[in-house]
Amino acid sequence: MPDAFSQELVALLPNLRRFAIALCRSRDIADDLVQTTCEKALQARASYQPGTRLDAWLFRILRNSWIDQTRRQKTEGPRIDVADAHFLVGQDGERTTEARLALDATAKAIATLPDDQREVLIMVCVEDLTYREAADVLSVPVGTIMSRLARARRKLVDQLGIDTPTKRSEDQKGLM
Amino acid sequence: MTTTHFSDEIIIAYADGELEPDQRAALERQMEADGDLADRVARLAESRVRAKAALAPLLNEPVPAALSANIAAMVDKAEQASSADDATIVSLAARRRHGLSAGFARWDMPIAASVALVMGTAAGFLIATYWTDTPPGLRVANLEQAGLVAALNTIPAGDESNIGAGDRFRAIATYRDADGAVCREFEVDHADTSTVVAVACRPAAAWELQFAVVADQNNDGYAPASSLESLDAYLTAVGAGEPLSPDDEKTVLDGLN
Repeated sequence: MPDAFSQELVALLPNLRRFAIALCRSRDIADDLVQTTCEKALQARASYQPGTRLDAWLFRILRNSWIDQTRRQKTEGPRIDVADAHFLVGQDGERTTEARLALDATAKAIATLPDDQREVLIMVCVEDLTYREAADVLSVPVGTIMSRLARARRKLVDQLGIDTPTKRSEDQKGLM
Repeated sequence: MTTTHFSDEIIIAYADGELEPDQRAALERQMEADGDLADRVARLAESRVRAKAALAPLLNEPVPAALSANIAAMVDKAEQASSADDATIVSLAARRRHGLSAGFARWDMPIAASVALVMGTAAGFLIATYWTDTPPGLRVANLEQAGLVAALNTIPAGDESNIGAGDRFRAIATYRDADGAVCREFEVDHADTSTVVAVACRPAAAWELQFAVVADQNNDGYAPASSLESLDAYLTAVGAGEPLSPDDEKTVLDGLN
């Protein structure tokens, strides 16, 4: 019977995989990265502090592994065109409804954010880490998290034309 | 009324519930009168909702079978390794109760870990240090108590004694080394909850400390298995003999006094 740590690790695999895809922009590389992360996590589990967020601890391992890997290869990740930015779009086959198209547009907008903004956006807005937790994952000050996150969200608002709920009604739209 | 410009940073912090109470109050006051500010707050708050919703489908993608299988195998392997660890963790309290017999059994165990393992983990490591040669300023495993030599000379294996300063001495076993010198494995529980696992030998008229591991005991009175593994490695390396029977030990100790 796996213990609580292993159970939680396995339960977090989809989240790790999502974070990995966002970092390395490729499902295949992401899966290798998740595997490396789990291997390191199991080896280093004594250094995990119970009571703190395991996902944040794993994100840190994952991100450091990714940085090590890219540093070793001395390659920058490929520049992503808007046209190629499908890597964050879910692949569950459901892609016809209008709502789904809106989600896909958002996913693409997130995919084209600069790396440092995208990872912060995902940790805070998608994985619900606090600013402090995200700052610890990246080893940066909380202020850095705030400025990257603000820039990322400003871009989403502008690119997606995010409107306030009150102004979505038809009669007010004409006034804008 | 004066208006303050609030940056996007402040607004997202507000929307995310991360703003300090006084800043939060100031922003809320101004929002009541400032529709544009209220709009910015609403839009930036909405960006979080959108981002989360957009990446939710990724979470529902099945984890590739190969990845799941590899990780399940990894977890199994780690579980087996850790249950093997559990088996080799020897409760110091239990060893105290069982005295010699626990010591015997342990000596037959294979050496599972290299001595170097200890250095990075819970224990400081000292080997073959003569306490009589201790330079000033270096406490050798905190074993400078005056009562220690008397305890080595008198306490039979399995028994304990206070040796001053809140420290407890516990004799684990007595044996002869490859040269026939009397050696004693013992432990000292320091008042600061660290436990020293040590071996001293008496090749001539004085005891010499041959081995010491300082193990931080956890609350349950367990020393990390690694410290005992390194003791096993040491005992094997020096060709330690079988522990003496209580009668033989008594004869040896009587001869010392």
